[in-house]
Amino acid sequence: MGQGQSGLPPGGGEGGKDSKDQKKDKPKYEPPPPTTRVGRKKKRSAGPDSASKLPTVFPNARCKLKMLRMERIKDHLLLEEVFVDNQERLRGRKGEKGGAEQRQEEERSRVDDMRGSPMGVGSLEEMIDDDHAIVSSTTGPEYYVSIMSFVDKDLLEPGCSVLLHHKTVSIVGVLSDDADPLISVMKLDKAPTESYADIGGLEKQIQEVRESVELPLLHPELYEEMGIKPPKGVILYGAPGTGKTLLAKAVANQTSATFLRIVGSELIQKYLGDGPRLCRQIFQVAAEHAPSIVFIDEIDAIGTKRYESTSGGEREVQRTMLELLNQLDGFDDRGDVKVIMATNKIETLDPALIRPGRIDRKILFENPDQITKRKIFTLHTSKMALSNDVDLDEFINQKDDLSGADIKAICTEAGLLALRERRMRVQMADFRSARERVLRTKTEGEPEGLYL
Amino acid sequence: MAQDDKTTTPDKGKGKAVDAPPKNDKATGDGKKKKKDDAQEELSEEDQQLKSDLEMLVERLQEGKPELYKPSLESIKTFIKTSTSSMTAVPKPLKFLRPHYPVMTELYEKWADGEDKVLLADVLSVLGMTYSDEDRLDSLKYRLLAPTQDPGAWGHEYVRHLALEIGADYAKRQEAEKDTTDLKDLGLSLVPFFLKHNAEADAVDLLYELEMIEKIPEFLDKDTFGRVCLYMVSMVPLLSPPDDIDTLRTVHKIYLNYQKFTEAMTIAIRLNDLDLITDNFNNAVNDPALKKQLAFLVARQGIWIECPDEDIAEVLNNERMSDHFLSLGKELNILDPKTPEDIYKSHLENTRGPSAAVDSAKQNLASSFVNGFVNAGFTKDKLMLVENDNSWVYKNKDAGMMSATASIGMLHLWNVDPALAVIDPFMEADDDYLKAGAALAIGIVNSGVRMDSDPALALLSDDKFLNSSNAAIKIAAIMGLGISYAGSQREDLRDHLMPIISDSTNSLEICAMATLAIGFVFVGSSDGEIAETIIMSLLERDESQFKEKWAHFLSLGLALLFVGKQEDSEVLLEALKIVPGHFGKNTSVLVDACAYAGTGNVIKYQSLLEQCNDHIDTSEDEKKGEDTFQAYAVLGLALVAMGEDIGAEMALRQFGHLMHYGESVIRKSVPLAMGLLNASNPQMKVYDTLSRYSHDNDIDVAINAIFAMGMVGAGTNNARLAQLLRQLASYYHRDPDALFVVRVAQGLLHMGKGTLSINPFHSERSVLSRVAVAGLLTVLVSLLDAKNFILDTNHYLLYFMVPAMHPRFLITLDEELKPLPVNVRVGQAVDVVGQAGRPKTITGWQTHNTPVLLSYGERAELEDDEYIALSHVMEGLVILKKNPNWEGRD
Repeated sequence: MGQGQSGLPPGGGEGGKDSKDQKKDKPKYEPPPPTTRVGRKKKRSAGPDSASKLPTVFPNARCKLKMLRMERIKDHLLLEEVFVDNQERLRGRKGEKGGAEQRQEEERSRVDDMRGSPMGVGSLEEMIDDDHAIVSSTTGPEYYVSIMSFVDKDLLEPGCSVLLHHKTVSIVGVLSDDADPLISVMKLDKAPTESYADIGGLEKQIQEVRESVELPLLHPELYEEMGIKPPKGVILYGAPGTGKTLLAKAVANQTSATFLRIVGSELIQKYLGDGPRLCRQIFQVAAEHAPSIVFIDEIDAIGTKRYESTSGGEREVQRTMLELLNQLDGFDDRGDVKVIMATNKIETLDPALIRPGRIDRKILFENPDQITKRKIFTLHTSKMALSNDVDLDEFINQKDDLSGADIKAICTEAGLLALRERRMRVQMADFRSARERVLRTKTEGEPEGLYL
Repeated sequence: MAQDDKTTTPDKGKGKAVDAPPKNDKATGDGKKKKKDDAQEELSEEDQQLKSDLEMLVERLQEGKPELYKPSLESIKTFIKTSTSSMTAVPKPLKFLRPHYPVMTELYEKWADGEDKVLLADVLSVLGMTYSDEDRLDSLKYRLLAPTQDPGAWGHEYVRHLALEIGADYAKRQEAEKDTTDLKDLGLSLVPFFLKHNAEADAVDLLYELEMIEKIPEFLDKDTFGRVCLYMVSMVPLLSPPDDIDTLRTVHKIYLNYQKFTEAMTIAIRLNDLDLITDNFNNAVNDPALKKQLAFLVARQGIWIECPDEDIAEVLNNERMSDHFLSLGKELNILDPKTPEDIYKSHLENTRGPSAAVDSAKQNLASSFVNGFVNAGFTKDKLMLVENDNSWVYKNKDAGMMSATASIGMLHLWNVDPALAVIDPFMEADDDYLKAGAALAIGIVNSGVRMDSDPALALLSDDKFLNSSNAAIKIAAIMGLGISYAGSQREDLRDHLMPIISDSTNSLEICAMATLAIGFVFVGSSDGEIAETIIMSLLERDESQFKEKWAHFLSLGLALLFVGKQEDSEVLLEALKIVPGHFGKNTSVLVDACAYAGTGNVIKYQSLLEQCNDHIDTSEDEKKGEDTFQAYAVLGLALVAMGEDIGAEMALRQFGHLMHYGESVIRKSVPLAMGLLNASNPQMKVYDTLSRYSHDNDIDVAINAIFAMGMVGAGTNNARLAQLLRQLASYYHRDPDALFVVRVAQGLLHMGKGTLSINPFHSERSVLSRVAVAGLLTVLVSLLDAKNFILDTNHYLLYFMVPAMHPRFLITLDEELKPLPVNVRVGQAVDVVGQAGRPKTITGWQTHNTPVLLSYGERAELEDDEYIALSHVMEGLVILKKNPNWEGRD
């Protein structure tokens, strides 16, 4: 209000006894109600428009009250549906134009006409009022332009990309989805094939992970009934090859939640500030697709203890970790986002990262004991053609410090050896030599049985 | 046994890996040795041990040596009971026994009756939990065959499962009309277990399933009854009649059992059962302070009961209302009167060109209203009550003078004696409008307050007023009686008002107002006699009269008689069928809506919504008014839905559709319905929508939306709404009608300088004040035809808002009813129903010293234990008692 509006057609204001018509032009002159435009988007993106949102239902516990409340919502929705259907039918009968779809199509094509083509792409610099903004186009100059009424104003925020009309340069659309394409790569589209059944042993670990990651997403009411907050995240740690990543894969296989996987090193970026930004975006994407599970492998790449450092690179890595700290347990509630981390050097991690509240459960993966070893062996050999003389107990009972990965390596190696000799079955001898080989490479040239 | 059988169906994850092999064993019985090895290797040694033990036990059962049966079954039982597991997996013994289940069921059939057989049934019942699907209900079947055992012994999950099957089976048997006593007995034996284990919801649910909720009191004790009652009360709006009433009565009984008199009283008020209330009140207590507290609760609802004790009668009569309100004003330092200009803040409006000077009379009238609303109850203002020859009154014209004079009543709200002195000169004035205004003012002053001297009746029933030949005076007197005795159900008023209705020489206007006044006095009484008389007298009138605008209030008056009475209204609905023309239909819709006000009843909601389906063409003159029922139906939607949060939110969605598809009659009533639904509850999404409607092309819609904005913000001083209204004021500065409504809305927004509320629900939003509903509804109905009422000469109808106005304060008093300032925490109320532990009931609180104001949805609690509040609801006037166990801070 008050300043001259350059982009508007003149008239309407002068004279005219028909006060009613005049009124109808007026809304444009209204000063916009003060809006908290910046930062609104984040809230919006969490769900549908607040006006059409369904009421939330409490309590979370399984009880009749909850059922009745849900049913009440259902009843009302049905009533709405019936009403809208009826009205649409009546309207369709009255209006000659045909069904709603056709009308919509017509409207859409009209909007397309108005948009024109080609459209320019610019970025929104500043909102002036509800209908005007300053944009800058890629060619350089900044323009004061009007915003078309059909543009969803809620999506507009300073810095976003907008579509501009090729002649009038007015805003005709918003290019959404400003999340980094990197992140969409991280989203797991195809579930891995490994399931819980493919894990030998680790019952305790599986149970802990399921309790703290899967169950809170599936059955939040169990926790509510108990009156506790479900854990936010877990860290899997232990020697290499003990199945940390395998377990994460199994979780991804089993869950219907969005599964985002990243490797710690991916968060280290070339440019200053890119790492923290990526980190933020990951969690934003996770929240948008909630319920979701974020799996960060090899967290020690960024999560090492903080120390005085003169190197800019080091500091940037540390800043990335600080962002991660904030995302894990910061000011904003993350909702249904669970975090799984994996590392084999938990002692190097920053204590702030793994404090309770950020990471509530620390799950240790140990080298398998005899029984587990047996399970792993049987798992890996179950699909191999073994000859009758193979007795796996020999390996199981030996006191070698074998990890799950080693066992797999032995089995594979044995198979390879058999293949080398063009045999159709794997024999005990193959296993023995395979074990020798694996152990030799494992101990890095220090052959077993070398006593001094 | 703490696992959850529903979450871990055995085909998931780990369960599968270990569960499958036993089956393979049988399938490939030809002895593939390696495979068998595999299967065994999958189990740890302990598991293997357990498995073979169990298999051995099962085999023993099959051997046919009865002497071994008992020990084997006992040891199976021990195995099952001692097993613990995480909630992610089925307990191992159950898992291993699962394959043997069919064998064991066969065994059961074979065995001879006896102790062993019962024992087996016991075990089978538990095993059935893992085996049963929807239709088999095995757990239940075997549980019924093993009646002696304590079901709780098998753990929580089992009992829960059993309860589920009981519910399912009961429904099935009910359908087939079979005997259900055994189920009921079993169900009852489960209830104590649930209650003991913190699962009140399960206990209540089970009893609902078995349709015997009235049995619950016998199972409760002092630790559990609170949570159970809370749970049951929150179920009420969702249950279909008559379950809801039964529930409330049961809860009432429970509260009485545990000496929770205020809780019981709230329920009794909610039931609207006068006998129950007086019972509670008279017999329950010997504690005078508590009795006073109960009296406060009753007085808040405006129920008129007699009490011999003078102190208590004073409380019941609300006589000190004004004192309390003024003391609140003093504490908050808002006694200084405000001028309308203070509210308009027109220096912040940016109007160009010639401004409001267009119609100064209308503006002055608006100022009178604003002045009345804003300074309501404060007894001081800068317009009416200043000593310069009452000049302000004479700045208004005709009916405007009446409204201006009546605003004195508003200014002195509840403050009867001093007010009469102020009004007195006007009663003797020559001008008829002044006299009419004075009559109305007397009525307003006495709203909700009872005096022994009965000034309102004494003055208004005078022939000078009630039987005046001047229509304005007569109407004002009738209105005054209606407002001041709203909800009193006094017989002598019937004697005064009924003749006016029956007298067919009176104009329809007078008859309608008298009907309305009767409706106010007997609101929610479902007095069939009155209704009948009214209808009979209507039939004597010419049908064409019902097309007049005043017919609205005839309908409304009838409808008010049945507010909240549900089925009772059917008598009237029948009677209305004989009324010719569309008047009958219009009225019956309104009656129906009123009868189910605040119930959240979906069936009614549906039938009202169906009324809105048609598009009625009213372009021809004869058909005028034929669509009025649709407007009533829309208001009815809000009336029905407002009892219950979910329904209310869903109704808001529905209003969007109505606005989109509806004809103008529906469109103009939608904003009003939204206002009713959210009275004094300014929610962003509501007033945003209303603000959009306030620029509608249809000026009626816009005007109603503006008024609704005022209602939504009534008495809250909401700054954002104030700004929106200022914008509207400059937007409509050339339209005197719209501007008038904007001004009134501004007055509403700052009603009582932000200390009043018009929300019809009180006592933590649990009790619906019928008087308040009546008041709001009258104003809204008059706005359905705003052009002919509020914007014409009948603007005094706005004063029907008065019965709905009530301070939203919390004042703490000592036992002598002297103000006692204490610290309280005020915060947003939290729904704690069904939550574990003892969750906080408020969130985001701030500590204040009483008296304080409570906004919609806020709750207060005492900061420390120094005092004990006698009421469970920290709202309105609360008496505090010193806590005998208080040991000082720290």
